[in-house]
Amino acid sequence: MLYDVIIVGGGPAATAAAVYTARKQLKTLVITESFGGQSIVSDDIQNWIGEQHISGFDLAKKFEEHVRSFGDIVEIKSPEKAIKISAIKCERAGFSCDFEVETELGNRYEGKSIIMTAGARRRKLGIPGEEAFNGKGVAYCSTCDAPLFSGKVVAVVGGGNAGLEAIIDLLPYATKTYLLIRGDSLKGDESTQNEIKKNPKVEIIFNAITDEIKGISMVTGLLYHDAVTNEKKELAIGGIFVEIGSVPNSEIVKDLVKIDAFGQIVVDKFSATSYSGIFAAGDITDDPFKQNNISAGDGVKAALSAYGYLLQLKKRSPATEKQ
Amino acid sequence: MTIKIYTTPTCVYCKMAKEFFAKNNVQYEEVNVAVDATAREEMIQKSGQLGVPVIDINGTITVGFDQVKLSELLKV
Repeated sequence: MLYDVIIVGGGPAATAAAVYTARKQLKTLVITESFGGQSIVSDDIQNWIGEQHISGFDLAKKFEEHVRSFGDIVEIKSPEKAIKISAIKCERAGFSCDFEVETELGNRYEGKSIIMTAGARRRKLGIPGEEAFNGKGVAYCSTCDAPLFSGKVVAVVGGGNAGLEAIIDLLPYATKTYLLIRGDSLKGDESTQNEIKKNPKVEIIFNAITDEIKGISMVTGLLYHDAVTNEKKELAIGGIFVEIGSVPNSEIVKDLVKIDAFGQIVVDKFSATSYSGIFAAGDITDDPFKQNNISAGDGVKAALSAYGYLLQLKKRSPATEKQ
Repeated sequence: MTIKIYTTPTCVYCKMAKEFFAKNNVQYEEVNVAVDATAREEMIQKSGQLGVPVIDINGTITVGFDQVKLSELLKV
């Protein structure tokens, strides 16, 4: 089976792309580990247009239902993880290729075009102890796990919105929370900042560079140093939440398309990548704003561009043969 | 088959696991470790982990929601 388009991912960009390729009657395959995208862990999303409040879980369900409603034209492989994308059967080198997507289950799927909407994953600190104590006090989902840190002293690393929200999640449970920030100012929304700053249980530590997470069976401490004075310090803690942004899931196409210094796929205003036939949208791209609504819009753009590309392919093939 | 799932009310992966059980007509017992400190200790003892969900299927412990693994264990 040769699909018209293979969509890799299951977040807002992937969902929007699938809805539009379905309506264009393109034979579509969606390969994703899960639906919903990164905001699936959010308890209350307040900026998804048309919904004043919706949980990430409910939004994920709506995404999946919408994609599944096109059962006649859209096939879904989920949970399944794409691990490699290659260009195959090119008419000329790098020109009018088909693509093969290989998955963790060992399956291979072929498509005339690809829409990369695999999003991003959590960035890790990359310091000693982080892996060893993952799930043993090192945590990455404050909405999930904050209640488990009842009565403990906890550190949160990261001064963006995610870090601030982790502090808010922890306030009812932790006896004290440290907020460690690399720079000298908070970056998250003013309203959340104000709520945190006035709470006596929160201590904000600026210019903090984390060095090591210590523990025995569970986390017991965090070593860090002051970026300005270089002074080494240690905090006695029972848990640490890491909220320091994300890394694009672009590795599987890095040999085909142009990737920037941050690992983001470079796209133009048509959501086209540097490789003819591969389109990309959402947090995997170099779009400056990582937002559900923007990802959805860019997913639509990628779908319409893929449609245009497929029409062009049909036109071009006979002409190419005459050359 | 006895199945026990340790959850917190705001944990989306717990909801996914419970939905997966419901879809496959799997009976389970749920304990909320956000309020039940004894259950929290029991969960940490069993799994060595501070993270939910923890799922105990006849003494086999899984941490997190892994649909493929759960399908294997439950044979659904």
